[in-house]
Amino acid sequence: MSHMLKKWWAALAVLVVGIGVAGALHRTPVQAAGKDNGEFKVGMEAGYAPFNWTQSDSSNGAVKIQGSNEYANGYDVQIAKRIAKALGKKPVVVKTDWDGLPPALTSGKIDAIIAGMSPTPERRKTIDFTNTYYVSNMTMVVRKDGKYANATSLKDFKGAKITGQLSTSDYDAIDQIKGVIKEPAMNNFPAMRAAIESGTIDGYASEIPEGSSAEAANPNLKMIHFAKGQGFKTNPDESDLAIGVRKGYEYKAKINEVLAGISQKERTRIMNEAVANQPSTGNTGNWFVGLMQQYGGMLLRGTGMTILLAVVGTLVGFIIGLLVGIIRTIPRPRSMGKRGLLRFFDWLLAVYIEVFRGTPMIVQAAVLYYGSAQALHLSMDRTVAALVIVSINTGAYISEIIRGGITSVDNGQFEAANALGMTHFQMMRKVILPQAVRNSLPAVTNEFIVNIKDTSVLSVISVSELFFSGETIAGQNFQFFHTYLVISAIYLIMTFTISRAFRLIEKHMDGPKNYNVMNNQMQVETPHIGGTTTARKDAE
Amino acid sequence: MKDEMILQVQNLHKSFGDHEVLKDINLDVHKGEVMSIIGASGSGKSTLLRNINLLEQPTGGDILFHEKSILSDDFDVTLYRAKVGMVFQSFNLFNNLNVLQNVMVGQTTVLKRDAAAAKTHAMELLERVGMAPYVNAKPDQLSGGQQQRVAIARAEAMDPEVLLFDEPTSALDPEMVDEVLNTMSSLAHTGLTMIIVTHEMQFARDVSDVVCFMNDGVLAETGTPEQIFEHPQEQRTQEFLKRYLSRV
Ligand SMILES: Nc1ncnc2c1ncn2[C@@H]1O[C@H](COP(=O)(O)OP(=O)(O)OP(=O)(O)O)[C@@H](O)[C@H]1O
Ligand SMILES: [Mg+2]
Repeated sequence: MSHMLKKWWAALAVLVVGIGVAGALHRTPVQAAGKDNGEFKVGMEAGYAPFNWTQSDSSNGAVKIQGSNEYANGYDVQIAKRIAKALGKKPVVVKTDWDGLPPALTSGKIDAIIAGMSPTPERRKTIDFTNTYYVSNMTMVVRKDGKYANATSLKDFKGAKITGQLSTSDYDAIDQIKGVIKEPAMNNFPAMRAAIESGTIDGYASEIPEGSSAEAANPNLKMIHFAKGQGFKTNPDESDLAIGVRKGYEYKAKINEVLAGISQKERTRIMNEAVANQPSTGNTGNWFVGLMQQYGGMLLRGTGMTILLAVVGTLVGFIIGLLVGIIRTIPRPRSMGKRGLLRFFDWLLAVYIEVFRGTPMIVQAAVLYYGSAQALHLSMDRTVAALVIVSINTGAYISEIIRGGITSVDNGQFEAANALGMTHFQMMRKVILPQAVRNSLPAVTNEFIVNIKDTSVLSVISVSELFFSGETIAGQNFQFFHTYLVISAIYLIMTFTISRAFRLIEKHMDGPKNYNVMNNQMQVETPHIGGTTTARKDAE
Repeated sequence: MKDEMILQVQNLHKSFGDHEVLKDINLDVHKGEVMSIIGASGSGKSTLLRNINLLEQPTGGDILFHEKSILSDDFDVTLYRAKVGMVFQSFNLFNNLNVLQNVMVGQTTVLKRDAAAAKTHAMELLERVGMAPYVNAKPDQLSGGQQQRVAIARAEAMDPEVLLFDEPTSALDPEMVDEVLNTMSSLAHTGLTMIIVTHEMQFARDVSDVVCFMNDGVLAETGTPEQIFEHPQEQRTQEFLKRYLSRV
């Protein structure tokens, strides 16, 4: 048992250190980890209409999203289909968070980024770009009934609170407005639209297609039409949209050829079609019924994934915590060799706990998933990667919780178990851990609840848990308040159920408050507390 | 019978840091013997017992069990501990187990007895200490005296050769002391070797074969109860007994 364990820990340590070191040294581009299996894997957010969005069926020529029952469509998807066809491959959409796109590409999880991305010099350092596939002009989206609705020039935005999407050229362009209040960048468009509606910002910098989509879908929003020469000045390099590929990608020239074959007229036609086809709000009848009808399945799958991650993560984390607790409390062996070995494992476990408690789970997930692909050429299923990360991360926390639970057990319990001749493992199993676990249960419940909520950061490796599903839905129906209200309710139901269930478990572990006195006729005496005590037979 | 040596403590030293608590202890315990250790608080009585069953590691000297050193590397400590039981001042019943389980757990996990045999044995012992009606109770539902009687049954259940008692009655209210002392008396002279640290002088006198007086980390005087209590040779012993008996 302990031998297996030791090997396992050693392997884990090697893996973690290995990924770190190799990731730092080994910066050369790699071939697609999935190899050339006739697929053209395209990364996109699938939440940036009209360029790309998620829908539940295959209508209007949508493409299946990898590892899900949903489909992606939009301008980007249509372009991707044309390219895939020319390459003689099958188009596959890999739904990925914006920040996860470049690492997904360099690590070979995807073959191309077609996601409304512009080829900034910054990005060109790590990845390559094809020629332009959409010429975009910048605009500003504001509240229709707001102070800036009639603006025609950047000058009109003096004193306005403006934001843009994180790590985009749109956000940098805000600096062109004199006297603007540049708000911190936001992660995605649904959030920015919600921010305008709530009044926390006055507007956001965007591209014309996104602006007209927002305007079309949400009656409270308006896209500004700047007078000639009064809008954002853009450097074509930075604002035109291009397809991101790995450096030295063999099909880059071929893709440029395909792009050259799509005329400006054709591009406008595809974009108009995309704007027309994007999912509508479908404002009919009860919003809740509507939401459930359209997105019930997506919510259910998101909830299922969240539960899976939290349950497996907490359970495996708990087992890790118990094992670490057992190992870290082994008494110092008599022989020097064994003592040294134990010291080493103690140190290893301490490192494990510090590393995983000391870094954000979002970083751990990115390192494991993208890092292992880039450095070790390991292609890992993203759900498996997510489960591994949540488990190991939770294990680090629960190890410390269990250690606290063990130290809180009275020293007399250890001594009594030792005095009976129990081995360390027997003592832990029969006496100490049952008490330590009982003491730790409220804190473990807490971890479980935290896992339900915090697994939302795993969207960075494209795991479609509940929050990611919510973002997608809100990005399509523009009903931020309603969507997030439903999401909150689902989270609350899950967490409340868990805290209640664990209360019951605690009660069960505590056992009955009373006991039955066994009336056995064989008994010699029935002592009562403070009652009849037998005479001191050996008194003089 | 009394000639066979079961435990020999030889030149035992124990220090905590630079605080030397046991200074050259020598002690022979014969099979079946009942030995009481008396002495002032802080003189090292508990430390001596705890060294004997290796809850503390001696810093010098040796301890022999059946003439084998318990300190050698190849000595099986867990097996030894199963044969040398201990009853604690603070009972230390396992809080997560009920009375019956407390008396069974050592038998099933350490001695590998099957559950049925362990239960029969446990019930027998619990009946003898008068705790059979309480098999389902958890330790915190019992009085101190009841807990200590269960703890004695738990130690006995291992069929030990030696039982160590560390002030088994000093955490008890006066009215519960007798029930525990009675239980102990009934164990004495049944072939079981007992080493009892106690402040109950009357009990020590009545039940022991040998009484040791411990003072400041050394065994100052050893003898029969009569020798120690009636005719103490050492002045320290006389002073201790005078102080002690005048207090009662
Ligand atoms: N773990 C320890 N670390 C340091 N010092 C200790 C430790 N255990 C005991 N001592 C010291 O050893 C000395 C003897 O303690 P011990 O408990 O053996 O006395 P005792 O004779 O049993 O006293 P009492 O009658 O009060 O139980 C005391 O001075 C005590 O402070
Ligand atoms: Mg003591």
